[in-house]
Amino acid sequence: MASVSILLFVRGIAVAGGPFGPPEPIAKPGGGLHTAFGYWYQQDTYKNGTEYAIRQNQIYSEAGYGFGNRWEVHARIGLSDLEVMDAYRSTSASTVAFRNDFAENWKFFTAVGAKGFYPINGVFGIGSFIHGTYYFSDFTDKVSGTQTGAPYSVDVGVKGLWDVNFGVGLQATVPYGVKMYIGPYIYYSEARIASSATIAGLAVTAGEATIRNKNVLGGFAGVEVPLPKGFRLNLEGQYSERLSAGVAVAYTY
Amino acid sequence: MNALTYPVLLLALVAVGGVHMSDPALARAQSVAASQVRSVVVASDSEQIPAQPAGTAVPSGVKNADDYEETNDLEKGEGGAKAEIADPLEPFNRAMYHFNDKLYFWVLKPVARGYAKVVPESARVGVGNLFTNVSFPIRFVNCLLQANFTGAVSELGRFVVNTIWGMGGLLDPASSRDIDLVKRNEDFGQTLGVYGVGQGFFITWPILGPSSPRDTVGFVGDLFLHPFTYVGSTELWLGVRAYDRVNDTSLSIGDYESLKEAAIDPYVAIRDAYAQYRLKKVKERGVEPENPGSAGSSSLKGY
Repeated sequence: MASVSILLFVRGIAVAGGPFGPPEPIAKPGGGLHTAFGYWYQQDTYKNGTEYAIRQNQIYSEAGYGFGNRWEVHARIGLSDLEVMDAYRSTSASTVAFRNDFAENWKFFTAVGAKGFYPINGVFGIGSFIHGTYYFSDFTDKVSGTQTGAPYSVDVGVKGLWDVNFGVGLQATVPYGVKMYIGPYIYYSEARIASSATIAGLAVTAGEATIRNKNVLGGFAGVEVPLPKGFRLNLEGQYSERLSAGVAVAYTY
Repeated sequence: MNALTYPVLLLALVAVGGVHMSDPALARAQSVAASQVRSVVVASDSEQIPAQPAGTAVPSGVKNADDYEETNDLEKGEGGAKAEIADPLEPFNRAMYHFNDKLYFWVLKPVARGYAKVVPESARVGVGNLFTNVSFPIRFVNCLLQANFTGAVSELGRFVVNTIWGMGGLLDPASSRDIDLVKRNEDFGQTLGVYGVGQGFFITWPILGPSSPRDTVGFVGDLFLHPFTYVGSTELWLGVRAYDRVNDTSLSIGDYESLKEAAIDPYVAIRDAYAQYRLKKVKERGVEPENPGSAGSSSLKGY
């Protein structure tokens, strides 16, 4: 049996590490600590000649500190899977992959961010943020198939994922302390694909290449609802090429 | 054999003893005893109880230790005289008391002081919170065994909240004024007491500290409920418990010394306070403890 080992390194496909949150710091008005736990469903598209859609399910824990209602820094640590749709799609009739999608389970990631907020009046405010994500661990996968009738087995790895996002948000605080926010953001990510061998018809094995996110501009919108006992519910969606969304529950100290 | 083996083993043994010595029962027992002599604060964990100057009224829901009485293995109702416990092994117990006393001053305290010098207090409190969170099964199961379902639900809620929003238990948001889920210090010895098992007699175990036959059995039962018992090797378990004990001691250096200074006979003070407090814990089954974090403390204090 012919066996070919191939490593694929993808660095920095779009991997936003969760919601950006409302422009105003989550902390209580006087400032202070907050923690949060959230789930985020991420979708995006990247390309290196061929476009690939990715999907991730992320769960994370966050801790942040607000300085009054003006500034905030936060950090997250979480777990995420990764699916790259049609990564093993063959363009050659003589090459067959037994499955099409790259898939790997939970790997650790971390995200850090900071935001500043300026209240225009009692209702409206505007803020900006910067948010970055980095994956500690490699994603690995193995795909098998046949090439000109001979079986092969391919090891695929994805490592060093990172991205950075910057955005501006407009916030409106409506009755009951509910905060609604919307705004644009830009982001950048890159990926390095490397393979130790090439299989004709499998584009992801076509040598080392750097890829970037297809779009750099996106939009986000969300709502934050105060819950009893100091908790806050955050629902947010982001759109850039594809829709991502998630929910988080924060506790303010 | 490595020259460090014996000191490390000794420290580990002291730490294991600390499992018992760090029992809030003893901490509070010491507090009660000391407060009878003069106003001092004796507490070893986040559930500190304020010292009551002699003769002053105690808050509602907190009865004077003198309200309880125990004679031999018979636990009597409220309104009795000073709580007592039989002490047929007093010569042995006194010897063990002095042994433990030296272990504290010669080993545990110096290590804890050094540790406190290099680790900030907030970090040590966080570590203490983490160990408390990990020992949740002891409190949860014993609440259930005592049919204290409110306490069991409270403990489960504390565990969930502190694990998810307290960064694995490093923080203690469950004790905050908003959430107000107070830790229930239920243990298997107390459960046996609720079932009608008397204290028996007083015994001071070397390293383990003050106890009774009932609470000794309870201590073993609690070990089976502690997650660390099932994690890794014995050496790892000893190491973790040693660290727990050192961390705990670093947060309460001076309490034991205050008790010793306040008491005419520290051994008797500890013995009586231990008996009083354990009896009180049994009688107060299901009574929601006061939350020290809800009485006007700052929001960060409850960590």
